[in-house]
Amino acid sequence: MVKESTWSIIQYITAILLILFLGFHLIERIPGLSPLQAATYEESLEYEKVSRAYDSYGWVLATLLVIGLFHGLNGLRGMLLEWKPEARTVINIVILVVFIVFAFVGFTTIYNHLAG
Amino acid sequence: MNKTQKQRVKMLQNMIGFFRASLNPWVIRVKFKENPERVAFILHRVSGAIIAFYLLAHIIVTSYTDDPLAWERILNTLSSPWNKVGEWILATAIIYHGLNGIRLLLVEFFGVGIGRPELPKPPYIPPSFKGGQRKALYAVFILSIIGSILSAVLIFTGKLPI
Amino acid sequence: MLEAEELEAAKRTPPKEVILKVKRYNPETGKQYIKEYKILTYRGMTILDALNYIKENIDPTLTTRYSCRMGVCGSCGMIINGKPRLACQTQVAAVATEENPVITVEPLYNIPVIRDLVTDFTPFFEKHKMIMPYIMRKNPKEVDEAEYEFLMSPEEHLEIYEYSLCIMCGLCYSACPVTASDPEYLGPQALAQAYRYIADVRDEEPEKRIVVVDTEHGCHRCHFAGTCSAVCPKMVDPAAAIQRLRKITLFYRLGLWRKKKTSRVAGPLEKPLRKIEAQYPTHNLVEGADPEKQAKEPVSIDFTDEMLSE
Ligand code: HEM
Ligand code: HEM
Ligand code: SF4
Ligand code: SF4
Ligand code: FES
Repeated sequence: MVKESTWSIIQYITAILLILFLGFHLIERIPGLSPLQAATYEESLEYEKVSRAYDSYGWVLATLLVIGLFHGLNGLRGMLLEWKPEARTVINIVILVVFIVFAFVGFTTIYNHLAG
Repeated sequence: MNKTQKQRVKMLQNMIGFFRASLNPWVIRVKFKENPERVAFILHRVSGAIIAFYLLAHIIVTSYTDDPLAWERILNTLSSPWNKVGEWILATAIIYHGLNGIRLLLVEFFGVGIGRPELPKPPYIPPSFKGGQRKALYAVFILSIIGSILSAVLIFTGKLPI
Repeated sequence: MLEAEELEAAKRTPPKEVILKVKRYNPETGKQYIKEYKILTYRGMTILDALNYIKENIDPTLTTRYSCRMGVCGSCGMIINGKPRLACQTQVAAVATEENPVITVEPLYNIPVIRDLVTDFTPFFEKHKMIMPYIMRKNPKEVDEAEYEFLMSPEEHLEIYEYSLCIMCGLCYSACPVTASDPEYLGPQALAQAYRYIADVRDEEPEKRIVVVDTEHGCHRCHFAGTCSAVCPKMVDPAAAIQRLRKITLFYRLGLWRKKKTSRVAGPLEKPLRKIEAQYPTHNLVEGADPEKQAKEPVSIDFTDEMLSE
């Protein structure tokens, strides 16, 4: 059994990391600050910029994917545990499955970019 | 108490319930300035849920980025004004959740900003409400409003006026 | 915590007549309904007085629970005008005005209702018991067959004094957004008491309590909404206690926390007791009050004609 405080510690550590990584991810969209040199908000979403983002900052996106998913899903898990405390096992399993599925989809995207 | 008596006495659970407690800041009628932390908690929870569900959708949407044509199609379908409103709400949620998250980190993980235990004295304000976290909370509210306005400018005009 | 405006309002005379809307529950039919009572008030009337007045003169079936009627026993907690309060500590004048003389009274939320305003505190007390609210020593004889007290300095006492004021009234439990849906959540009262004993220098077994609070329904479910501290009538400040407790559990899990100091048994006196002049209290005073001067002045109360006629 993993202690609840262990999840909590990871929740807070991922929160600290998210400030940095999500901050970077959002700064990509801000003209003037963007490491992709996007001139407008829309331009930062264009194919050329996006694929450059994957090539140069793939590791940032991969980290963001894992910590974002963990933090968000563990937060949802906390809420669900409050909502239906009796369904504890089901909640834990569902959250774990969602984590694995979405992490897999995300990593596939990043891998496809780096591979091709 | 024998069994038949026990069956007759039905207790009322009288629970407020999850959704009322996490969406309505006035289920307990405490004034805002007496307990802004509760409003902050509800906003934190709602914004956290919004971002978490967005992230799930986001992972699906970005999985189309490896094909230029498919990504072009996605960008076109997602360029309606309502999507921009959605993005702005999301940006506001991230800004608030992040700033308030820093405050919660300091309070809940490092235990700072909640004063020291003291002798109760009139007017009996609990130390945790006199500590730095209360000031930080008001700063979070103000900075979130500023951040929200800036993100609206960025999302709706494409540029920041700097 | 009493709100400043209410403290001011409590000093006024209440409206001549108020309407009490009491949420009642009948366990035989399982129905909850609202009943209105119109009563005449007097200066200094509390909600508990009003309820007792109704029970004695209007409707003897109205059920309430109280015993000390002075904010000490913690049995008269109820939701008055939407906020958990002690009925005996709430002045009618503080919650009703001339313009709006309606007062709503409900049983405490999140605690099972037995009848009308009487709630079943069994789960609440069970949780209090779970955190082992007593001093535990490595050598149990030091407590069970105690000959001498444990040492504790005034500063160490101040660390826990605030939390030891808890009267177990359940107001915090009723106000918390987590107990609102999770009946297994330990609740602010039990968690604050867990911290109170972990922080107590006389206690030697903090690890045992950390195990109890470190669960899916323990201290990590708290979100620092702070409503518990906002409604506590004794300024216990459970919200702060829980955040300290949470810090301890997290750092303990990381291997960075261990109890710094535990005190020893006092032992027999080394020197005979000193005689100390009695002193007037120096803390806990209303602004500008001078107990020394007050003690010398004769007590005289001026009744105005208006007051006597009431
Ligand atoms: C930007 C940096 C972020 C910081 C500093 C941060 C901080 C925090 C903290 C400290 C908590 C615990 C709150 C509590 O105990 O009640 C929390 C909860 C939560 N966070 Fe974040 N967070 C961040 C980003 C995110 C992101 C990107 C997501 C979504 C993917 C997210 C989703 C959630 C959710 C769902 C909760 C649970 C809320 C609740 O139970 O009420 N957070 N966050
Ligand atoms: C206004 C908000 C956002 C916009 C416009 C946006 C846009 C994008 C874009 C264009 C990409 C492709 C890579 C790149 O250009 O960097 C991307 C990837 C990604 N974003 Fe966001 N994003 C936003 C918010 C978020 C948030 C709140 C999170 C949550 C933690 C997030 C997590 C990710 C992740 C994990 C990836 C990589 C996904 C993958 O490859 O599977 N983004 N985002
Ligand atoms: S902490 Fe305060 S509100 Fe809670 S039970 Fe104790 S005295 Fe009552
Ligand atoms: S601070 Fe924690 S225990 Fe107190 S009301 Fe808020 S969630 Fe409940
Ligand atoms: S009757 Fe004892 S606290 Fe109100």
